[in-house]
Amino acid sequence: MLSNILKLVKKEVMLEWRQKTALGTIFIYVLGTTFLIYLIFQGNITIPTWIALFWIIALFTTVNAVSKSFIKDANEQFYYLRSVATPLEIIFSKIIYNALLISVLALVIYAVMILFFNENISDKGLFLLTIILGSIGFSNLFTLLSAITARTQNFVLLAILGFPIILPLLLLIVKMSELSNFAIQDKDIYMNLGAIGLLDVITLILSVVLFPYIWRD
Amino acid sequence: MKNWWKYLCILLLFYTVIMGFKGSIPELNILEESIRNLYFHVPMWFAMMTLMLVSVVYSIRYLSKQKIEDDIKAAAFAKVGFLFGFLGILTGAVWARATWGAWWVFQEVKLNGAAAALLVYAAYFILRGSFDDEEKKARFSAVYSIFAFVMFMVLINVIPRISNSSLHPGNGGNPGFNSYDLDSNLRLVFYPAVLGWILLSVWIATLLIRVEKIFRKKHGLDLEESLILPVINSSKNNKVENTDYIDFEEIK
Repeated sequence: MLSNILKLVKKEVMLEWRQKTALGTIFIYVLGTTFLIYLIFQGNITIPTWIALFWIIALFTTVNAVSKSFIKDANEQFYYLRSVATPLEIIFSKIIYNALLISVLALVIYAVMILFFNENISDKGLFLLTIILGSIGFSNLFTLLSAITARTQNFVLLAILGFPIILPLLLLIVKMSELSNFAIQDKDIYMNLGAIGLLDVITLILSVVLFPYIWRD
Repeated sequence: MKNWWKYLCILLLFYTVIMGFKGSIPELNILEESIRNLYFHVPMWFAMMTLMLVSVVYSIRYLSKQKIEDDIKAAAFAKVGFLFGFLGILTGAVWARATWGAWWVFQEVKLNGAAAALLVYAAYFILRGSFDDEEKKARFSAVYSIFAFVMFMVLINVIPRISNSSLHPGNGGNPGFNSYDLDSNLRLVFYPAVLGWILLSVWIATLLIRVEKIFRKKHGLDLEESLILPVINSSKNNKVENTDYIDFEEIK
């Protein structure tokens, strides 16, 4: 199972690498959005606004990047994949790949945000950890939802389905980002990290349990 | 008496409305007469939560048994749950205007949780509308509803504890209603009101289910078996299996 998952992840990476336009699209999207926000706010924002903008950009980028993750498997490839891999292998490989993709995109957003706005988080290590944990949660949730929406012709559906149920995770991540800038007690940090970790586990379990019901025709 | 609970529902609601408007209430600052909304606003949420729970139970049942009837029930309960959630927000907004001074208060996690719940429901209905194939519609919306239900439970149970900002009684340092309720007059109306509104919501849902079933019967749609899944899942009904499988392949 493990070697199969690795092979599938490798396949995803290779496919993405071959279609450089798709990858380029999403990077330009990140650059463009951040630049737009830089101009709208006239280059001058406080840390809480910085954090809010960072996660808004990250959320919209995630939706755009993940929405196509099952589209290319929707037709003939679907039958091929079904015959060579179990649903569990598919969902794990997609989640791992999407988590990698979202993490990389979030790091790019972080770099671009630092480039445009001088504001920065004081505890960078903790903020990076938040980004990684947040990306994993985003990936768990949006991978499953994109498997649902790939079967419809409604492309806004992923955002509609995702936004209300990403809310608990998003609120925790924003809170955690603020704590990584300024925390009064260490206890708060551990509690929030624990809550985010727990949510990551819950979303992962839900995705893995429910995916086999989607991965049929 | 098969429908005893419907009579009970009518009785309880008459009692709620009469006692709600005419019954005695304790003298309270700020709240004053608006405390009567307790019999209408709070039971809406009880009813909505009950219906959400029933709906998600039917969704789980659909995934395990693939009977289209379960999907019809899940959808009907979700629809009525949405209605009651909407009524809960309306009655809550009126009450908030009278006591807190605004229709919508930002520093209020419960309001935001309620709005998120309605958004989830709305997304659920749009998802259902996006499929032509009935079996797919049932399956995918069941998956979404289970996922959303768990996340919603996390939202309303975990986040208020962390943000700790609520104006509702019993939250964020505010006294609960128990402390207002010295002569327990409120309770005598409140508990029957909760039961009455829940019964009414279930009643409406059963009516919706009946309408849907009659509609399907009239158009000759089968209730027992879903269209495609028996091929993969069960070998109970060979006849359905074969014909459906051939049809499906021809379409492809």
